[in-house]
Amino acid sequence: MSMSTTLTLEPLFRRPIPFSITHRSSNPNTFFFPPPSSLSSSTIIKTPSSSWSPSHKLHAPKFQAFAANTDTLQPLQSSDVLFSKIFPINRTELLEGKIFVRLDQGRDLRNWELTVGCNLPGKWVLHWGVSHLDDVGSEWDQPPRDMIPPGSVPIKDYAIETPLKKSSSAAEVDNFHEVKIDLTYNSEISAINFVLKDEETGTWFQHKGRDFKVPLVSYLKEDANVIGPKKGFSFWPGALGQISNILLKSEAMHDNDQDNSKQSSEPKQGNSKLEGFYVEMPITKEVTVNNSISVSIKKCTETSNNLLYLETDIPGAVLLHWGVCKDDLRRWEVPPAPYPAETIAFKDRALRTKLQSRDSGKGNSVEISVGEEFSGFLFVVKLDENTWVNDKGNDFYIPLSSSSSSLTVKREDQSERVQREVTKVESQEESSSTFTDGIINEIRHLVTDISSEKTRKTKSKEAQESILQEIERLAAEAYSIFRTNIPTFSEETIVEPEAAAAVESETLVSPEPPKISSGTGTGYEILCQGFNWESHKSGRWYMELKDKAAELASFGFTVVWLPPPTESVSPEGYMPKDLYNLNSRYGNIDELKDVVKSFHGNGIKVLGDVVLNHRCAHFKNQNGIWNIFGGRLNWDDRAVVADDPHFQGRGNKSSGDNFHAAPNIDHSQEFVRKDIKEWLLWLREEIGYDGWRLDFVRGFWGGYVKDYLEASEPYFAVGEYWDSLSYTYGEMDHNQDAHRQRIIDWINATNGTAGAFDVTTKGILHTALDKCEYWRLSDQKGKPPGVLGWWPSRAGHWRFPSGKEMQGYAYILTHPGTPSVFYDHICSHYKSEISTLMSVRQRNKIHCRSTVKILKAERDVYAAIIDDKVAMKIGPGHFEPPSGSQKWSSVLEGRDYKIWEAS
Amino acid sequence: MEISLIGSSQAKLGRSDLANRELGFINLKDGFRVSNDRVCLGKNVRWKKAGIRFTLRALHQSEPLQAEKRSGAGRRSKSVDGVRLFVGLPLDAVSKDCNSLNHAKAIAAGLKALKLLGVEGVELPVWWGIVERDAAGKYDWSGYLAIAEMVQKMGLKLHVSLCFHGSTKPNIPLPDWVTRIGESQPDIFFKDRSGKHYKECLSLAVDNLPVLDGKTPIQVYQSFCESFKDSFSPFMGSTITGISMGLGPDGELRYPCHHHLSSDGKTQGVGEFQCYDQNMLSILKQHAEASGNPLWGLGGPHDAPTFDQPPISGFFKDGASWESSYGDFFLSWYSNQLIAHGDSLLSLASSSFGDTGVTIYGKIPLMHSWYGTRSHPSELTAGFYNTVKTDGYEPVAELFARNSCKMILPGMDLSDAHQPNETHSSPELLLAQIMAACKNHGVQVSGQNSSESAVLNGFEQIKKNLGGDNVLDLFTYHRMGAYFFSPEHFPSFTEFVRTLNRPELHSDDLPNEGEEEVAQSMIKSQESSISMQAA
Repeated sequence: MSMSTTLTLEPLFRRPIPFSITHRSSNPNTFFFPPPSSLSSSTIIKTPSSSWSPSHKLHAPKFQAFAANTDTLQPLQSSDVLFSKIFPINRTELLEGKIFVRLDQGRDLRNWELTVGCNLPGKWVLHWGVSHLDDVGSEWDQPPRDMIPPGSVPIKDYAIETPLKKSSSAAEVDNFHEVKIDLTYNSEISAINFVLKDEETGTWFQHKGRDFKVPLVSYLKEDANVIGPKKGFSFWPGALGQISNILLKSEAMHDNDQDNSKQSSEPKQGNSKLEGFYVEMPITKEVTVNNSISVSIKKCTETSNNLLYLETDIPGAVLLHWGVCKDDLRRWEVPPAPYPAETIAFKDRALRTKLQSRDSGKGNSVEISVGEEFSGFLFVVKLDENTWVNDKGNDFYIPLSSSSSSLTVKREDQSERVQREVTKVESQEESSSTFTDGIINEIRHLVTDISSEKTRKTKSKEAQESILQEIERLAAEAYSIFRTNIPTFSEETIVEPEAAAAVESETLVSPEPPKISSGTGTGYEILCQGFNWESHKSGRWYMELKDKAAELASFGFTVVWLPPPTESVSPEGYMPKDLYNLNSRYGNIDELKDVVKSFHGNGIKVLGDVVLNHRCAHFKNQNGIWNIFGGRLNWDDRAVVADDPHFQGRGNKSSGDNFHAAPNIDHSQEFVRKDIKEWLLWLREEIGYDGWRLDFVRGFWGGYVKDYLEASEPYFAVGEYWDSLSYTYGEMDHNQDAHRQRIIDWINATNGTAGAFDVTTKGILHTALDKCEYWRLSDQKGKPPGVLGWWPSRAGHWRFPSGKEMQGYAYILTHPGTPSVFYDHICSHYKSEISTLMSVRQRNKIHCRSTVKILKAERDVYAAIIDDKVAMKIGPGHFEPPSGSQKWSSVLEGRDYKIWEAS
Repeated sequence: MEISLIGSSQAKLGRSDLANRELGFINLKDGFRVSNDRVCLGKNVRWKKAGIRFTLRALHQSEPLQAEKRSGAGRRSKSVDGVRLFVGLPLDAVSKDCNSLNHAKAIAAGLKALKLLGVEGVELPVWWGIVERDAAGKYDWSGYLAIAEMVQKMGLKLHVSLCFHGSTKPNIPLPDWVTRIGESQPDIFFKDRSGKHYKECLSLAVDNLPVLDGKTPIQVYQSFCESFKDSFSPFMGSTITGISMGLGPDGELRYPCHHHLSSDGKTQGVGEFQCYDQNMLSILKQHAEASGNPLWGLGGPHDAPTFDQPPISGFFKDGASWESSYGDFFLSWYSNQLIAHGDSLLSLASSSFGDTGVTIYGKIPLMHSWYGTRSHPSELTAGFYNTVKTDGYEPVAELFARNSCKMILPGMDLSDAHQPNETHSSPELLLAQIMAACKNHGVQVSGQNSSESAVLNGFEQIKKNLGGDNVLDLFTYHRMGAYFFSPEHFPSFTEFVRTLNRPELHSDDLPNEGEEEVAQSMIKSQESSISMQAA
């Protein structure tokens, strides 16, 4: 949705206009109101707009019918009612109404009155301004003071907002709102521009995606024609364009056009011949309609059949598509007759029954008798040609039972199972949404778009853009594999320098080049995770940590990782809200600056924990979904990825996995990236962060990370690519190459600008220590099994096997990669052991690309020599370093681990 | 892509034409997931009401249109819109033991990217040394079949290059059993004056000698082609639209005049005549005797320079032996041998694949070094008797016309401006000469670029070559791999493809930009949807 940022002219229209009014006019650029003679009339039509695919398993998030958590008691319910349930049906209906615009002559030639009215319910506001004679283009200006009706609010210096009021003159019409503007002849003003806003829904109504324009001088027309259209506003959502077009076709618009052109063919001079006119234009508005379907079941005393009574307050003709099933598979079957009146078979799979109007005159109902051999009743409801209602994408399902005694229990089971199934379906859908699926969807959207002339341009451009992004992403994927793969049988193939280096140093992949380069440090870093999952509780963590800065430096830490600094919905900070608000549970912004400064004073670089994958919204959209942001980065739902139905984002499909607790940010949006880059730069400058720890980077493409890192030029950056290792029958697989490869792929996508936490090693180490399976620490090629990148030790989520922490540190502090030490551990009784290990590492200059020679990887012992300088073993088993050319002397021994240095 | 029709006429066809057509994939309606949000639902309505209005012209029109195009350039606009774009797959896409793919995941991603980009298809080198590695007549196509399947699923076309030569980079030698034969009979290979054998392809002199376990190389090639045809019959004519027949070193119709021809063709030396293997020499001897000059048949020109020497002295000097009647004798013979070799292989291919609806291609080299001298020594050593006095490409084009083959010409990315001055090189003039010959004989040309690494202004030059009034119908870009997808290369390739697909219309015919792009993305999307549905 690129149009949103780039083409905006007036800030007021930063949000794309979800509604629009279509009017076919001979003039493609600006609509001019025809003279009164061309009045057209039309009836107000109510059409439900949304469409439901009749396919039963389709997932359709918009129309949400929630299975009520508790089965509500119904008036119908009596002692013999076995089951009853109400399904609330929230539908969106498209109301069609009209906008009326009239220009009347007032007391004299110099006074005119412009009336704008609307006959749809809503909180209407006229957002308007004037054009001056000497204006070029579509600039708006504030009208002169005497034109502004009372109750108006000025908007910046170019517009006025005036609320529409219930019309007094048209009291007989419901919901008729209007506003009158007195125009005093003013030679300066050439036209009045306006759009209509519905404050109830926050939506804007424009004319063909552009401002309404009421010309006050006739020769303006030519000018307006010359001026190019304001393409930025041509956003045509949903079915509006089409429906409106159809409507208009049936109207006498043709005459309109002719009159219009006739008028324009009689050139007039000056303002003296300004003519009054009156015109109506169709307008559509989506409103939410709350209805419900209630179902109750009784036992038929005569036949032992289940009698199912279904009623709904949905007005109009309602068709029930129904069937029954015998098992949990919910396969639709057509039951034997008898059927209710007005039932026909539908494609051998279902029955279609027209509901009968209820006696009360409101709504519809039906009673169906179902044989006791069936265990469930399935249905969907069809409201009109295009509107189907189902249960969150599934069929409505009513459990039936032949035995009333077990019913209560069964009911519980059933409803629980429904929930579970729903979840399952969703997760399946998510996991299967790979690249290609996404692309197919894009393409399908694109295809459907083409049917509407109007939307073609913008929509397909967007789609094309997103296709280009997908291409870019696929290319990046291919690139990362091609360059890491050394072709198996090309002896003379020139190996990429990086790959060669990796092979040389025997660490499989180590993204950090040994020199200092942006994002990846020197390779000699030792990181301290400077907080734990409880650190927020004191409310003054920054100050507590500040006191430790000197001590941490003395251990030899070169980097400290601070908790996420932003305002957050969760106290730990990982649910950020206003990114520019740096007052968190860890302390306020000044304390943050203070602690950063004191670390810098001790020669320690500071890593900021930035959460870029998701962000908590400030406001709800018109559907009550939290996806509108506030604060300095007041993004709207275009900043939210479109493929998480929970948040109804209007952005593109996510470039990674979704985190479901908050709206996932759509990094493909340029405005989002620009804002994030600015924010990162601001953090660098304002707070003094040296680099980033990037949370949940699995959620978006590494290429964006590259973009951010190139913009913010951190000293280094490390991403949390959290991913599960592979297990077979509950046993962790020995070969975790796929897991490792996913992390490496991500690192490659960032073009090596970021490192990643070596979750692979961590996971394997956990299992190795916990289950005494030290053989896992050598992969099938006799090399370390992980990425040997960064070492995560985040508390709270994944605590290290208790009592075996030191074995873990003995491993990571002697091995290549960038070790990270958890604050709690360095402050515990492990302090001296850890600091000894750190000094061994520093003394022997072990770095992120050091060489590992694994000497033993057996059930109960793992042993390795690093850079021919340090030998280590972990595990209860026995190991002594080989006494060859080198002499080894023990430097540290602890519980199930031992370290030697070459002397 | 066959953008030509759609692209150029979209504005006029507009609604009337498109609206009347049935869409080929109605099932989209049912498969359409109402998964996203309200916008999506709304679209669905509109879409249903509006009906489905466009067509799969790009896919279904191929055959009749081909014929139309062949009839001349007149009907086509002078733009690049008629050119279909292919991209070469990695040379080592299939591993040596044939049952596994190298970088399968990367290729899969790459294919998707290319498909989305609107590329028509991919080129796949199929190696003799891999398929028939162990024993004569024992073929293993599994790896290549897997790739063909991937390509088909992606809805791309496949152009197969049958490689009867070996390669050093990546290392793919001739079949083991052939190599073994070569150890005892080294004269199945070309030999240069100094006695060195070129072991990456068989000497053309043994084409019809039963040197391979009693079979002639031509027979072996033929069996190979038959087996290929059988094994790939489900793909023939549908996914596989073209086959290029390996004709010599690097698959090109030429002598291995440079034992290691540098990939960008920027060879300094003139190369050497390759007529010193036993069989070549005996043919030469017979020919000399038959023509009454037995002394001329004792060897190649004695004063020809060695591989890397410039033609400043000896045979190729102005007025030197090449202009003598001996020179004419030798050069005619040398080049005729090559043409006869090409003729037997291309006619083999035509007869093998003639009934499959697949187009046969052969590749000739672009020996552009020293083109600016009178003797064109590089071309002469390669086997093209092309000098200021003789047109060496007329008989070549005629050869292709005779066998109804199309010609692959590399080096479309090379421009004269970027050639070293001292070699008098002119890729542009040489290309023009060959293309003119092809045009005379109605041979269509398929272009290729010269190398995998970037050539300065390469894309510009390719566009220039594609845009001219020439006989190009297809362009194959080489080649997928790390560099191809690298950030320094891929964006410019993308840009190239996009400009390639954008026809140059007269401004009156030009729809505004957005619509035009729609037309293109429409095609792309249709194709993709189809293939996805089919998959």
